[in-house]
Amino acid sequence: MTFEEARDYLLQKAKALGIDAEVLATHTRELTIQAHDGKVEEITQATQGGIGVRVVVEGKTGYAYTEERTPEALDWVLQEAHENALLQSETGGFLPAGGALGQHDLLGEGLSAPLEHKRQAALDLEAGLRADARVKQVQMTRYSERETQATLGSTQGVAGAFRNGYALLLTSAIMAEGSSLKQGYEFDLSREFHALEPGRTAQAFLQNTGRLLGARPLKTGRYKAYFEPKAFGQLLGMMGWFLLSAKNVLEGKSLLAGKMGQRVASEMFTLVDDPTLPDGLASRPFDAEGTAAKRTVFIENGLLRTFAHNSETARKMGVENTGHASRSYKGVLGVAPTNLFVQPGQGVQQDEGIIISDLMGLHAGANPISGEFSLQALGLKVEGGEVAYPVENFTVAGNFLELLANITALGTELEWNPLMGIVGSPMVEVAELSFAGA
Amino acid sequence: MLAEALVSEVLQKARAGGAELAELYVERWRRRALRVLSGEVKEATSGIEYGAGLRLFYGTEVVYAYTNDLSPESLLELTETLVKLKGSAGQVDAGGRGGLDFRKAVARGLHAPAIPFTARDKRYRLERIREAEAGAQVGPQIKQVQSNLMEWEQEVLVANSEGVWAEDRRVRTRLYVTAIAQDESGMQTGVVGPGLSMGLELFDRYPPAEIGRKAGMQALTNLRAKPAPAGSMPVVIGNGFGGVIFHEALGHLLETTSVAKKASVLSDKLGEKVASEVVTYIDDGTTPHGWGSQEFDDEGRPSERTVLIENGVLKSYMVDRLGSLLTGYRPTGSGRRQDYTFAPTSRMRNTFIAPGSTPREKLFEGIEYGLYAADMGGGQVRPGSGEYNFAVKEGYIIRHGRIEEPVRGAMLVGKGPESIQRIVAVSDDLEMGPGMCGSLSGSLPVEVGQPHLLISEIVVGGQA
Repeated sequence: MTFEEARDYLLQKAKALGIDAEVLATHTRELTIQAHDGKVEEITQATQGGIGVRVVVEGKTGYAYTEERTPEALDWVLQEAHENALLQSETGGFLPAGGALGQHDLLGEGLSAPLEHKRQAALDLEAGLRADARVKQVQMTRYSERETQATLGSTQGVAGAFRNGYALLLTSAIMAEGSSLKQGYEFDLSREFHALEPGRTAQAFLQNTGRLLGARPLKTGRYKAYFEPKAFGQLLGMMGWFLLSAKNVLEGKSLLAGKMGQRVASEMFTLVDDPTLPDGLASRPFDAEGTAAKRTVFIENGLLRTFAHNSETARKMGVENTGHASRSYKGVLGVAPTNLFVQPGQGVQQDEGIIISDLMGLHAGANPISGEFSLQALGLKVEGGEVAYPVENFTVAGNFLELLANITALGTELEWNPLMGIVGSPMVEVAELSFAGA
Repeated sequence: MLAEALVSEVLQKARAGGAELAELYVERWRRRALRVLSGEVKEATSGIEYGAGLRLFYGTEVVYAYTNDLSPESLLELTETLVKLKGSAGQVDAGGRGGLDFRKAVARGLHAPAIPFTARDKRYRLERIREAEAGAQVGPQIKQVQSNLMEWEQEVLVANSEGVWAEDRRVRTRLYVTAIAQDESGMQTGVVGPGLSMGLELFDRYPPAEIGRKAGMQALTNLRAKPAPAGSMPVVIGNGFGGVIFHEALGHLLETTSVAKKASVLSDKLGEKVASEVVTYIDDGTTPHGWGSQEFDDEGRPSERTVLIENGVLKSYMVDRLGSLLTGYRPTGSGRRQDYTFAPTSRMRNTFIAPGSTPREKLFEGIEYGLYAADMGGGQVRPGSGEYNFAVKEGYIIRHGRIEEPVRGAMLVGKGPESIQRIVAVSDDLEMGPGMCGSLSGSLPVEVGQPHLLISEIVVGGQA
């Protein structure tokens, strides 16, 4: 059975059973080429897909999914979803009405280069690193691409599909100087294979990791912090989004609950999500329920303007749906950002403090419910307006909302980071944070 | 799950295309998940995952493909594409006709569930979750309790052109309870999440009410806790999930995935003293019903108990097939993968520090000022530099040898090899705890464990 046949089978069966159903199918093609020691060491080619349903029975919502597209598996999916719905205590569930959303292609010919060019890109990136004698080991170098076709349909009339994808260059390597060892990584991500440049990524790695060699311990204390875009993007993706999700607000888990219209950040801080950006890696024509994509300003000059909603949270809170519904075929309805970014500012003057270049341990050291974080960081000490020396073996700690309130300057250039969602940020200066070291 | 003749045809075709070894991995999962918040079922899902991965070796070069179209036409076409992807390979002898001579190994059911995946209805599950929620109500400050019950059953077949044919059925169950306590000072959490390779009889080992009570108590402790101090100090790490520090700081450095590329600071150190002599470190995939146990690894090799470090001396790495080809070390049944979308790499199973002889109370004696990390969250490591971090979920100040006020938000950071040298005493109260470990071949269930132990000095990140 094809994905379309499976979708139609499920919708017809649901109608016959008198159940409201929404079907989301995704189909992905992936290619990964890994280079090592000047040779291609591993190639992975893949096709994968699955189909998930959300059903509403007597105002209760249930979910199930399958990767096996046989009538038996699809029947099991409907039966389990039905049972799962009846188990729910909450009523008031519904599927939004909708119409034809069209077929969209956001990827075009972006990945159509010959295999040989892609193989060469991975080899060139590795060679670019090895040209520097301080590179002791290149652990991993990879070219990878992915294209996804998503199809949405429901018994309420929603019908649409879109295709998207990306090409990625990624490397992780170890640099050494004397007894100092640093393991770093670098990547470049684009919708166009031709926009990637292995030489540029290699130089970025050598620059970003090389500057940390010879790091010294940091003395425990309170310092001004300069978050580089990558590091701030990680923190924002982990903590910021959690607080803005209306689902978390409704479940009493967000510290921003009850603060609508109030000041929640420094007045120079504006946070935007825009799924319509022409080059945005997470751009999409509509969300997981078929709501059309539009730009949303969550925080404007420090004031909280809206939470992120899907149809369910918007109805419960009696506000406008921002079109942030997310669902994978395996998952349940949630809210997720697309291209989330901090509006750039007037520039940062580095005088005294710590540049934070990267953060580690976010999944364990950042608690979005309490807003508190204590994270291993990598970075550099700034003294008298100059970068003095790299520092290591330290943590940075604080409360995320206090951090937002204490932002004192923002850089002029936006950089995108795909590590925790697609998050863009300029350099962010924070008045003072706690650092623990020797 | 697939006919022997088809498996044989795929493997032979790959061999005929020049691969020295061909391996086919097929799996089918059934999963269920329930999320209950304050008595209400918020999300209930069920799913089937189904797919195959084909891996071909050309020396130490690997090509891998996966798909969830398992029809004969699709699998044979996939094999052809994969052979072509490699390109230059010549035609070799396919090793005879008429199918491979598989040596069939069927799991003995060492970790088989007492209550099968299909038994008991969803209401029964919900009742047990409600017991956990009730247990968590240990004070008026407990505002919310969230419980996630996850169950899965995975059927696996691994076959290769050397005649390996292994079938395994893995059932795992985990209940994960988060209690949220709140007062005018803010919101804090307590988290307890036992899991084992078994069915719903997990609740006989860990009564839900008790799991809930522990989560509630931890949330209350964190609510009255002050921010952790910052600086370098002695730390006593609690037993059980405390072992996550060595999972990060030591375990990952002993996987051939990084050892083979000399990308681990512990490469080429067999027979050398790499840790303090009080440290014996073991990775055991055979523990009955262990969260990280399975009868076969994902390359079809039987699980084993591997002594990694004995009294401080490095005895073995964790070795998968590719790691063995690259290093010459004997495979240790450590080839694991999240699912068919990943090729296997060397990974941990149930990894722990063996019990020592120091009575637990003695560990605290003589500490003027330090931290007792009673329960740990997760962590992370960069094997190339050994730099690691991990979060303390429940911590207390040690003053004049006594456990005193609770502190929250502590993060321990260091370099693996240095921290291992600084373990000065190990107690005799080994316990294990389940976790999910993310690495190159995906996110996997692993157990970590240890007795209480004392590290003479480590950086504690908190409020300066």
